[in-house]
Amino acid sequence: MTRILDIAFKDLLQLTRDFKTFMFLLLMPVLFTFLFGYAFGGFSGPSDSRLPVGYLDQDDTWLSHALRDELADSDVIRLDENPNRTYPDLELLVANGDLAAVIIVPDRYGATFLKGKNARLIIIADTSTTAWTTIEAEVMATISRLDSAVRTATILEEIDAERMPFEYAFEQSLEAWEEPPIAVVETTSSAVEASDASSGALAHTSPGMMLQFAIAGLLTSAQVIVTERKSRTLQRLLTTAARRFDILLGHYLAIFTLIFSQFMVLIAFGQFILKVNYLRVPQATLLVAFCAALCISAMGLLIGVLARSEEQAITFSLIPMFLLSGLGGAWVPLEVTGETFAKIGHLSPVAWAMDGFKNISIRGLGFESVLLPAAALAGYAVVFFLLAVWRLSAAEEK
Amino acid sequence: MTNSPAIEVLDLQRSFGDTKAVQGVSFEVRQGEIFSLLGPNGAGKTTTISMLSCLLRPDGGDAQVMGHSIREDPMGVKSVLGFVPQEIALYEDLTARENLTFWGKMYGLRGGALKARVEEVLDVIGLRDRAKERVGKYSGGMKRRVNIGVALLHKPQIIYMDEPTVGIDPQSRRNIVDSVVTLKDQGMTVLYTTHYMEEAQELSDQIGIMDHGKMIASGTHDQLVKLVGGQTRIDLTLNMEAGAVLEDWRAVEGVTQVSAEDGLVTVLVDDSNAVLPRLFDVTNRLAARITSVDILEPNLEAVFLHLTGRALRD
Repeated sequence: MTRILDIAFKDLLQLTRDFKTFMFLLLMPVLFTFLFGYAFGGFSGPSDSRLPVGYLDQDDTWLSHALRDELADSDVIRLDENPNRTYPDLELLVANGDLAAVIIVPDRYGATFLKGKNARLIIIADTSTTAWTTIEAEVMATISRLDSAVRTATILEEIDAERMPFEYAFEQSLEAWEEPPIAVVETTSSAVEASDASSGALAHTSPGMMLQFAIAGLLTSAQVIVTERKSRTLQRLLTTAARRFDILLGHYLAIFTLIFSQFMVLIAFGQFILKVNYLRVPQATLLVAFCAALCISAMGLLIGVLARSEEQAITFSLIPMFLLSGLGGAWVPLEVTGETFAKIGHLSPVAWAMDGFKNISIRGLGFESVLLPAAALAGYAVVFFLLAVWRLSAAEEK
Repeated sequence: MTNSPAIEVLDLQRSFGDTKAVQGVSFEVRQGEIFSLLGPNGAGKTTTISMLSCLLRPDGGDAQVMGHSIREDPMGVKSVLGFVPQEIALYEDLTARENLTFWGKMYGLRGGALKARVEEVLDVIGLRDRAKERVGKYSGGMKRRVNIGVALLHKPQIIYMDEPTVGIDPQSRRNIVDSVVTLKDQGMTVLYTTHYMEEAQELSDQIGIMDHGKMIASGTHDQLVKLVGGQTRIDLTLNMEAGAVLEDWRAVEGVTQVSAEDGLVTVLVDDSNAVLPRLFDVTNRLAARITSVDILEPNLEAVFLHLTGRALRD
């Protein structure tokens, strides 16, 4: 056991003296997390999550303006005004889902309203959606406030027109609605806390780049093993009391330590700087990181054993980096690639690691949700390690 | 030196695919002696030493190293030997002290004993002042010294040295040869492989000559030289094609063997003083002229030539 630790310590000493180690394991993932985060809109600022609703004012009176101002202040509706749009245009936008609904204020709406008659707004919407229910409620509440304000202003004007002219009374009545006697405080579950566009993009790119550059970083680890074999240092090791299995485990432990440390640093960076909620279920994130490090380290060991030169070690590291990262959804979420690609993507261990991390940081799932990804990663680790053992034994006998 | 064997090799065999690298090699090395395996590249020296180090499993035969079988007890074998490979088998991004400390741990040394032994070895190889420098920055000769120092860390009873002087400058070669003699003086048994005849001749108590995976002769230097009958070798060049004189020279009294290569004619004779004038006479009769003469007393090169019909450098 002590020889395994001695070999691991020696490897770590060698790796920490190579600038490439830090470049691939820390600098590059941080840089690319920002770049990819930017590419996916991570820095567009907090998004407007209100429902987009078209607004066409054919009345153009102070009342229709008041209605527009009230709706514009809504927490639920985001008005999308464009006077050049025609009725068919607006219908098409709703049909395509670009707008949740369209509110049309018809000509003479204000006059009808002020006469206390049945003034009607025209609304284009898909009434089978939950969005419609929300919009309908918001519009009805706004009209109710307007109606109440008009009635109040009319009464106050009749009582004392000099001190309470209609416009003044109307404004005062509307303002009163800004501080209603009953208020509802809304809150969001911590499970969906990170789901806005900003942290959502980074919540994807952060684990993606972390995994991608963990694989890229294997080129330095693999080079240590290749150089050891090329310089016959491995053969010399085998003339000591160190066994072949001790040597492999020592190398494996070194790569694992390096990658797991990388994960810990980048998870902390993601949590505290990028606000990606890795630590919502810390033990789950830890388990995924542990199994992903086991898997990628075993891959590194296999690359080190397979490569015959430093150049091959670089090639053998970069090809899986691009292939497994791209296939596994490190760049583009597998959720948007379609079912078939997502299934193929799960041939890559990166996809399982992404699932594990995102189940916690994005999807708001519990510890149980990472058990399958962790098991898959551990399975890959065993396969890669056994292949490395077999390959080294075969190579040394030649 | 004692008569008890340190290494007994019996009918060792090893093939790589269809290539028979080692074919039934047997020899014995006594404790405290230097035994050199001499032969051209590809003769099977490194394969033999790899099997004796338990790096390669033999296809056939066995060897006892200080009583441990390379087949049955490889860990026992490894515990008594230090191995100096042909390559610089060191970690170039670690310092000399870090290298020695790491290898000491691999040989099972720990704590104070390890620390003390590392400093001792640094003194032996003369690199204590530069022990903090990375090995990658050392000259070739310095690396070779560390390479040997690693094998000495656990005070082994036997040292294997696989062509330790390949590709280095004459001064470093001299240092290594001297250090091998020092090891012998300290009572170590040394198994040394080389394709440099001069090294084998200078260092060895016993020499085994290998060619094409076989041990074609072994013994002391004097015993081997007697194989060519104590004959003197004369190298000559002519002002014309050598082929024109070969048959006539072979017929000269006192000439036992004639061979030619790249314009150089090698003649083995019993008595160079008597034969050389006869060679000149024959050459004159053939209207040729000898342009250079080099007389070499009997040596291992001549032995190899005698046994294989080829020069060792081939």
